[in-house]
Amino acid sequence: MRSVVVGISDCKISGDSEELLITYALGSCIAVILYDPIVKVGGLLHYMLPDSSIDRNKAQQNPFMFADTGIPRLLEIVRARGAQPGRMVVRLAGGAQVMDSQGTFQIGKRNYLAARKILWKAGILIASEAVGGEVSRTTRLEMSSGRMWVREGAGTDCELAGRGVSAKAPQKAPPKMMEGKV
Amino acid sequence: MAYSVLIVDDSPVMRSFIRRVMRLSGFELGECWEASNGEEALSELKEHAVDVILTDINMPKMNGEEFLRRLEEMGTLRSVPTLVISTDATKNRILRMLSLGADGYMTKPFSPESLREELERVLGARNASRA
Amino acid sequence: MPHELEHLEAAGQRDAGQEAEFTATLGRLAGEVLETMFFAEAVAAECEHGWLPDAVAVRVDFEGSHCGEMWLALTPAAIPSIASAFLGLEPEETGEEQSAQVILELANILCGAVLSSLWPESRLLLDPPKSTAWECPDEGVWHCCLALDEGALAISIRLSGVKELA
Repeated sequence: MRSVVVGISDCKISGDSEELLITYALGSCIAVILYDPIVKVGGLLHYMLPDSSIDRNKAQQNPFMFADTGIPRLLEIVRARGAQPGRMVVRLAGGAQVMDSQGTFQIGKRNYLAARKILWKAGILIASEAVGGEVSRTTRLEMSSGRMWVREGAGTDCELAGRGVSAKAPQKAPPKMMEGKV
Repeated sequence: MAYSVLIVDDSPVMRSFIRRVMRLSGFELGECWEASNGEEALSELKEHAVDVILTDINMPKMNGEEFLRRLEEMGTLRSVPTLVISTDATKNRILRMLSLGADGYMTKPFSPESLREELERVLGARNASRA
Repeated sequence: MPHELEHLEAAGQRDAGQEAEFTATLGRLAGEVLETMFFAEAVAAECEHGWLPDAVAVRVDFEGSHCGEMWLALTPAAIPSIASAFLGLEPEETGEEQSAQVILELANILCGAVLSSLWPESRLLLDPPKSTAWECPDEGVWHCCLALDEGALAISIRLSGVKELA
């Protein structure tokens, strides 16, 4: 298996089942990991900031630096390779609360919120995620299977299922056992 | 299977939000009926059979609790999974609605993914019990 | 003294600790509601009320075991972004009527979430939210202001009575 490294403010797309997309040092950044299991096309975007309006020139040079330019671009590219929104498994990793250059802790949360907003607008629900906390993450996507793993800090790899509970558990009543249909 | 659904909420934008989640969740959506209160919802049910009901509580004319009571009397709750979606997260209300026969209770605010998960649980439980 | 009036008296004599706790809860829940369903970030801010006369405001009356009203105000500039995000649309695709409905629903959700959190054992009855001018009194309310990306948000809750559950 061949590793393809995705850097910061970077994005890689693959349709090669021999490849493994991997990105490191996800602190406050967010990785958007996308996979269409039918055509086996996927992508990994690693973006730094939520909103490109702070520097339109930079966004022009590198749309993958920002959520609002990077995520639409990722979707555009994978669609051109045959991936379909209704089939895409989309997972998120990162968005930790770490000190950024301004000494603030909010950018991870803002990055996560931006991803949720843009994906909702694009008509895509998030399958599962490993976000928040205060730890840096590494994540990899296996192109042959669509399986994805996340490592938090110096910990071990944990597989992030195609469907899983989000970092914030929903408020709901306990399940009720119902009788069958009459 | 294609699910036909009845969404009961006095907010048209809330009904739109729920409809969007259902569509994006991968459920095959058949007909989607809407009502802005319990009274309208009962009229819809006279005309159309549905596979799942999602209902708010605080609504004018007939609130969700009264609507659920009527569904229970009609025997509808035995055959149609019903999910309550409400901003009321008080303990007594939740217990009362579940005692009346609601299959689940989502409190607002909720993320689209949380609603998808709850729908899968409610519809999955019913499908499993039919098997 | 009738039982309800004793409770009203007690409600009026809130201590400073309870006041701070309630105000913090208000701010926290507003942030959670906005993030979860409206995909907007809201952070606690110093109160500055010069914008309130021009604000878009909503009032939600409530009764049950606690009676009173909740007031919500938003700077008009903040509304297109919040409304379009909720609906999954671009701001230019979102009409004024739709936006108004979204803000009413925001107020409805916020009111229920706050009251359920403050008094989880209570009986809660919310009236439909109403668009209005900001006419909330300054005194005798729990209040907080939050900063949004494109403006500000203010919330006040005024409690007029507390009843024992039967």
